[in-house]
Amino acid sequence: MSKESNKNISATLATATCALLGGTIAQPVQAQEEPGWDFNTSLLYYGEDEDRIQNLSVSILARRTFQDDRFMTLGLTVDGLTGASPNGGLQQNTPQTFTQPSGNNVFTAAAGTLPIDDTFRDTRVAINASWQQPLGRLYNLGVGASASNEFDYLHLGVNAKISRDFNQRNTTVSAGLAFSSDTIDPEGGAPSPLSSMLNVGDLSNRMGEQDKDIVDVVLGITQVVSRNLVVQANYSFSDSSGYLSDPYKIVAIVDGVTGDVVPRTLAPGITGPSHEYVFDSRPDSRTKHSFYNQAKYYMGGKVLDASYRYMTDDWDIDSHTLDLRLRWPISDKSYLEPHVRYYTQTEAEFYQVGLVNGSPLPAYASNDYRLGEFDAITVGLKYGWKLRNGNDMSVRLELYQQRGSIPADRLIGNQSGIVEYPDLDAIVFQFSYKFGG
Amino acid sequence: MKIVFVIGGLLLTAGCSSMGVEPWDRDVLAKDEMQLTTDALEAATDDHIYFSKEASSGGRGFGGGGCGCN
Repeated sequence: MSKESNKNISATLATATCALLGGTIAQPVQAQEEPGWDFNTSLLYYGEDEDRIQNLSVSILARRTFQDDRFMTLGLTVDGLTGASPNGGLQQNTPQTFTQPSGNNVFTAAAGTLPIDDTFRDTRVAINASWQQPLGRLYNLGVGASASNEFDYLHLGVNAKISRDFNQRNTTVSAGLAFSSDTIDPEGGAPSPLSSMLNVGDLSNRMGEQDKDIVDVVLGITQVVSRNLVVQANYSFSDSSGYLSDPYKIVAIVDGVTGDVVPRTLAPGITGPSHEYVFDSRPDSRTKHSFYNQAKYYMGGKVLDASYRYMTDDWDIDSHTLDLRLRWPISDKSYLEPHVRYYTQTEAEFYQVGLVNGSPLPAYASNDYRLGEFDAITVGLKYGWKLRNGNDMSVRLELYQQRGSIPADRLIGNQSGIVEYPDLDAIVFQFSYKFGG
Repeated sequence: MKIVFVIGGLLLTAGCSSMGVEPWDRDVLAKDEMQLTTDALEAATDDHIYFSKEASSGGRGFGGGGCGCN
């Protein structure tokens, strides 16, 4: 089909649609941007307390503008990660020994401490590329691809988005589709869900590398309400399938009366776990629905950015996220931006503190704190300024705090007072520099 | 069911057509700070952090992912 006939069809469709809606056809109103490169770079430090995850990250996003409002975007992020996460083990009054995820060695959690595997170290490289261009007069098309690689994880993804302007470009309706194909390949192989943590060197419960696929659909509408207010509403659907368990997380087998983790007997000369633990097990599919609303409101120089998201999924997790930012100019060339975010989620239906010894194993069980019930608060402040050469710099500091609780009726015997939700405190520091080429 | 969505969509779009501004009144909306995403890198950073630490993701755009976040 020729370009000309494409144009004709889209013009005819536009006329027909607007006639149907009783509107008039708008003329383009946006000035075209000058062709050239723009760069957005950032240095990020993310650090959790108590020697948990630390991440130092460098990112660059380059955008090339071509004539006729066409853009190419190229992104690169390199993350250097160290530290550890709670592995799902329960704090006990005695020391506990665990086989490392690789199956090659053991580590010990001291009495009275939360078991944390601190052998974690990883480098992640992520790249993405996208192309965006008008299609006819009222449509805009974007296509993109992304890939990331870590020691034990490979992600490959493609996406496409199309939008159409209505009502003198005051209304934009968009639809997007993304597909990801990820491969999980932990050292030694991914453990079979609910299989026991085994002795060092015993890899008989490993299943090699595993896959997961994710399909995302996003439908959105953006509406200019007035000269100072623009709002957006999105519905997203996300379907994941494949190996969704976490190969590094475990669940304790506990005594039904005392609540203590059941000790394990080791044959002489054998190195292995001191207590009974089984590997994390999650359903092999998950469907999420999200409703997202955002408003930007201009108030005499200050800009309020407010958003709210509701998410629900078939693992029984519901969450609410409220995010507020206020950009407050303090001079012609600088601004402050306070930020507050509140998040709350319910627990997954298979979230378990521990599994009672002797009872039949459920199909799914996880003590991953991220699947538990918790609230989180972020408070942050950003300072941004324009340099004499017209380039932009900003620094921001954010504090993130997660607080959860385990209902008393979920705890057995001695667990009361010892087993607690692993709260999290983290800081985020980011420095950004934007410049034109 | 489909027809409900189609009619709903048309009503919504028709309702929206009474809102908005004339092209010459877009000075404020055209400012960088009035764009829905003012800083793409910062937004991506936040999405990645929260994806790693919470059971929810996406909303603003695609669900994110692409990490075996521990």
